[in-house]
Amino acid sequence: MLYLDLLIQGLIQGAIYALVALGLTLVYGLLRILHVAHAALFTLGGYIGVIVTNDSGSFLLALMLAMLLVGLVGMASYRVIYRPLLGRTPLIALIASIGVFIASEEMFRIVFGAYGLSYLTPPLQGQFEILPSIYLSYARILVVILAIGLLSLVGWLAVNTRLGIAARATVGDPKMAASSGVNVETIRYASFFIGSAFAGAAGVLVSLLNNLVEPTMGAVPSYKALAIIVLGGLGSVRGALLASLALGVIESYGTIYIGHLLDRDSIAFAFLIIVLMLRPQGLLRRD
Amino acid sequence: MDYEIVVLTNMAIGILFALSLNVITGFCGQVSLGHAAFLGIGAYTSAILTKAGWPLVATFLPAMAMAALVGLVVGMASLRVRHDFLAITTMGVVFLFTGIVRKQDFLGGEIGIAGIPAPDFGRPGLLVMALACVLLYLIFTIRIRKSWAGFAYDSIAEDEDTARLLGVNVPRFKLFAFVAGTAGAGLAGALYAHQVRFIGPDSFGFVESISVLAMVIVGGIGSIWGVILAAAALSALPQFFQIIDDFKLLVYGLLLFGAMRFAPDGVDGLLRRLFQRGTAP
Amino acid sequence: MKVSRLSVSDVTVSFGGLRALEKVNLELDDNQLLGFIGPNGAGKTTLMRVIMGLIRPQSGTVCLNGTDITKLPTVQRVHAGLALGQQIVKPLRQMSLLDNVALAVGGQKLLSPLHALFARSRNVERDTASSLLERVGLGTEMQKRPNEVPLGHLKRLEVARALALRPELLLLDEPLAGLSKPEASAMADLIAGLPRSGLSVILIEHNLPEVMRVCPNIYVQANGRGLALGPADEIMAMPEVRQAYLGKDV
Repeated sequence: MLYLDLLIQGLIQGAIYALVALGLTLVYGLLRILHVAHAALFTLGGYIGVIVTNDSGSFLLALMLAMLLVGLVGMASYRVIYRPLLGRTPLIALIASIGVFIASEEMFRIVFGAYGLSYLTPPLQGQFEILPSIYLSYARILVVILAIGLLSLVGWLAVNTRLGIAARATVGDPKMAASSGVNVETIRYASFFIGSAFAGAAGVLVSLLNNLVEPTMGAVPSYKALAIIVLGGLGSVRGALLASLALGVIESYGTIYIGHLLDRDSIAFAFLIIVLMLRPQGLLRRD
Repeated sequence: MDYEIVVLTNMAIGILFALSLNVITGFCGQVSLGHAAFLGIGAYTSAILTKAGWPLVATFLPAMAMAALVGLVVGMASLRVRHDFLAITTMGVVFLFTGIVRKQDFLGGEIGIAGIPAPDFGRPGLLVMALACVLLYLIFTIRIRKSWAGFAYDSIAEDEDTARLLGVNVPRFKLFAFVAGTAGAGLAGALYAHQVRFIGPDSFGFVESISVLAMVIVGGIGSIWGVILAAAALSALPQFFQIIDDFKLLVYGLLLFGAMRFAPDGVDGLLRRLFQRGTAP
Repeated sequence: MKVSRLSVSDVTVSFGGLRALEKVNLELDDNQLLGFIGPNGAGKTTLMRVIMGLIRPQSGTVCLNGTDITKLPTVQRVHAGLALGQQIVKPLRQMSLLDNVALAVGGQKLLSPLHALFARSRNVERDTASSLLERVGLGTEMQKRPNEVPLGHLKRLEVARALALRPELLLLDEPLAGLSKPEASAMADLIAGLPRSGLSVILIEHNLPEVMRVCPNIYVQANGRGLALGPADEIMAMPEVRQAYLGKDV
């Protein structure tokens, strides 16, 4: 049953990537900017998760607080980093974003130490047999439930609320949207809030899975999330979702089969480069 | 005297590295977030050869060639992808490089290559060599700038489609920039390997790529003298103030953000505005 | 059989669900000036971009002097004798107007980096650029940067740059927009004189009086489809043309 196990692990990992990639996709779709600083929000979520759980004993509180606070910080990041740079070429915003990301990682290291923090009593440690002899920890199950829940929520919002419809219109054609009365700024703040909150949630979940939060943990998932939005193509949320799951699974199998050639984290980029060579516009481009 | 030589050599290598990225990102406008990979390719090539008995100078050409070969491949990739995807693709290159090197035993695997032979002519000799390399590469980049190649690059960096419409063979020029730039990084890598005498997969990562990009940006994209100043300052700084070395990354991060936010033209732009001079070379 | 300078056959272009061009056909002879009119959104600029190679059609071919150039990259088309003055002006803002035009005169130097590396002087090209800029009435503005001159000047810069390429076929996308009446007249006169020097020209314009004045023949396109092609007065008298164009736009 190795294959099934690998598949499930891959999908769970993919779900986490999807949570991180969503925020990046939203920002890219709206602003055509690669929001590298997103990685710091992921890590921040993790820290809030651990600290609040350790302090208050309630993981649920920690999760909600993390999402809320990181969402707010995300909105602030739009205001401070990107809005002042809107008129310039995207390269400038990208570099600024990288700068903030690096500085944030360092701030985490300086404030909380390089070795990270752990849960005093890790929640959700029990295991559940979902299929014959395939066990998943409650934590992993939570990841799946939360990912499905949150992403479905966004999907529902996108179709059934004014905000969602306006957001899609803005991504498709900002000028049209603005002249139809859409408040583009509100859309942007909302997107940053949602995307960042999800990243924060992902950070909490990963800190739970590994029982560790450390300053650099945001880096690798975010680099992969960047690869994912390229693979998904042009700010397409559906594409990013599919690419996330695909990547999770490919990493899972890839580590077994080509792990002697490449280490796990570069599999994502090998995949990316291969896909781009074959389809330079990404996997799921709406033509 | 020894300490100053080390610092100067590091500065020279840093300047060469930054000038090489300046050709790709500064002149040609192609974002590369993976330039450290080419430093690494040059370093590993050179180190393997000197450990096999080659004299240092003989390794320069192979180091440059290996880096340029991979650079050519990345350049060809850059032709196919949109510019915003290029940034991520080049990021992928550096991760791939690290990921592959880590797993190959003949490249030292996780541990890397240690005990790289000291150059016969000692540290002063290495400094002279590094300075010579910087000088030659500088002449080369000035040449590009002042020739019709620089003219063509100005158009490509600003608006590729319009450049094509004006008859500029954008793909060829881009490839040339990648090859020239990565070869320069390869050369810097060869020098670097023999300066620090130990290299590993972690020496050439994303952060190192961002650092050199910082030098190009802070110097003023495309401006040769701005880049030299920025590279010299940013390489030398941590060594003079140990305390800064600990916070080096924090400073880089804030510097990058601050530069983009408040002075996107970099040092060169600032100086130009201060002194109302003509275009720097 | 006489070979046309330009032959566009059954060109179809789609963007997502949108049909921008539907089986468009167009032929242009040597030394011919063709007016190209149509309402906004008719696909005029799209067709120009297809001819220049910036857009790949889903089907159809483009031939220059009998040679199929449908798969040829833009750069090669420019060196084969095509040139475009763009509707949305794209001056290179980091250099003077003079250098903008001088670059286009570069010829071989722009094809090969090695060739370019060994060429330093721009004097010859700047001389040529200088006369071209005088021809379009920008003689006194040459040293200025694009940010320092009004839109009308930049429109004229587009024309000068395109001419600098010594094309056989010149595509001009609304070169008169933004010019004052006398300036537009002068530019229209200049364009009218081009076929005498061996160029064929396609002139996209909304300025109907000038188009009627200088173009012997007119091609009309609406909603991505060709509507009519023929002598100017016949075309303008056609009811479909008046409805498609004048009804919506004037």
